[in-house]
Amino acid sequence: MADPRRITDVELEGALRDLGPHYPYPPTPNLASRVRLRIAAQPVARPHRFELWRDPRRLALVAAALLVLLGAAALANPVTRDAIAHFFHVSGVIVTRQPSPLPSFSPVTPLDLGRRTTMADAQSKMSFTIAVPAELGDPDAVYVVSDIPGGEVSLAYTPRPGIPLVKQTGLGLLVTEFRGDLNPSFLMKGLGEGTTAEEVSVHGDPGWWISGQPHMLYVEVRGQGQSVPLRMAANTLIWEHAGVTYRIESGLSKADAFRIASSLP
Amino acid sequence: MEGRPLDDIALVERAKKGDVNAYEALVQHYQELAFRVAYQVTGNAADAEDAAQEAFVNAYYALGRFRSGAPFKPWLCRIVVNEARNRRTSAQRRTVLAERALVAQSSGDSAQSPEDAAEAREFRSMLVATLQRLKEDDRLILAYRLFFDLSEAEMAEALNCPRGTVKSRLSRALARLRAALPSDIRMPSLAGEHDG
Repeated sequence: MADPRRITDVELEGALRDLGPHYPYPPTPNLASRVRLRIAAQPVARPHRFELWRDPRRLALVAAALLVLLGAAALANPVTRDAIAHFFHVSGVIVTRQPSPLPSFSPVTPLDLGRRTTMADAQSKMSFTIAVPAELGDPDAVYVVSDIPGGEVSLAYTPRPGIPLVKQTGLGLLVTEFRGDLNPSFLMKGLGEGTTAEEVSVHGDPGWWISGQPHMLYVEVRGQGQSVPLRMAANTLIWEHAGVTYRIESGLSKADAFRIASSLP
Repeated sequence: MEGRPLDDIALVERAKKGDVNAYEALVQHYQELAFRVAYQVTGNAADAEDAAQEAFVNAYYALGRFRSGAPFKPWLCRIVVNEARNRRTSAQRRTVLAERALVAQSSGDSAQSPEDAAEAREFRSMLVATLQRLKEDDRLILAYRLFFDLSEAEMAEALNCPRGTVKSRLSRALARLRAALPSDIRMPSLAGEHDG
């Protein structure tokens, strides 16, 4: 119709504006959940994190909570134990009921799951075979902590239909595995009011189902001067099998969490 | 649309304080733009996806240096383009993109006759292929203005150039595009007004 040399700037701009909505872009991937996963799981907002540990009031609360736990763990006398706290072990785990309200802190704190890596690399760092829940398939992200005996791996799954978002973790579901037999008192869980802990059997192995209000999860100090990651945890199914302790954190019901657990090889 | 910058300011301020939900809302809103801007540079979906994701993560960690009240969109574009440039490795990818563009099918032509729709498609394919042959800077400035609707001020920020030079750069880019068009080009009856 028109001679090419006669196309005006206005026409060409119009043609480009028309092209915009038709431009052959590939479908936009859903980046939001993956970005969220990364910023929630990696040490984000570093200044805030260090502020937590530099804040004397917060630090005192954390120290007090730890003292309660360590005290409870040391006092093996059943009478005293029941009086102070209800506590029990799965290898590598101490769960204790806090006698007073939990320290208050941000419900969303960095997960500090370790270094992000591939499944193959993670497996090479572990002294046990990583179990992936068949029901969920490959995780969206894999994290390892190599500096604890036997290693620790975390498999992170983003929210999806049937796996709701857990505000405390920013994830849908988190599976953590470590050699409980090599790490006595490695994980500590502090339960406040509104959190229930129920003794359960997973694959015939001893475990606990912790649900209700979010509870504290913190890790024993590893080495001098190392900070103590402390955060809120969601519903947790935790059990031990053949020396490996497994933990599933999610917003799932007990039945659904058990179904995921049963799909672990 | 009109209220978006205000939303952005509020979300950015919350994200700066570590509110992951606020940042996720920003990502949700801008992921299409980020991916498409990256694609303009990489010409490759996998690299564009990677670049956009990395840009969002890096932007989050850089929020502390982001001036409060500044527009988020052009700042994000700049980070995306930097990430995308890091991933664009060879001319081969551009060839792949150009080939794909030529066979791309568009939707939204239903109000046109089949002949007009086919003509419009052919014209758009030719425009895409021609854009691919332009220098990246020219392609980006045209895309910012005409595809992604950035204002002059936003373009200056995204391109990291003085605001006074945006108009002349845009005009030169348009001139180079016109010069690069095939000599037998025909302007079709465009379908833009009939879309929707």
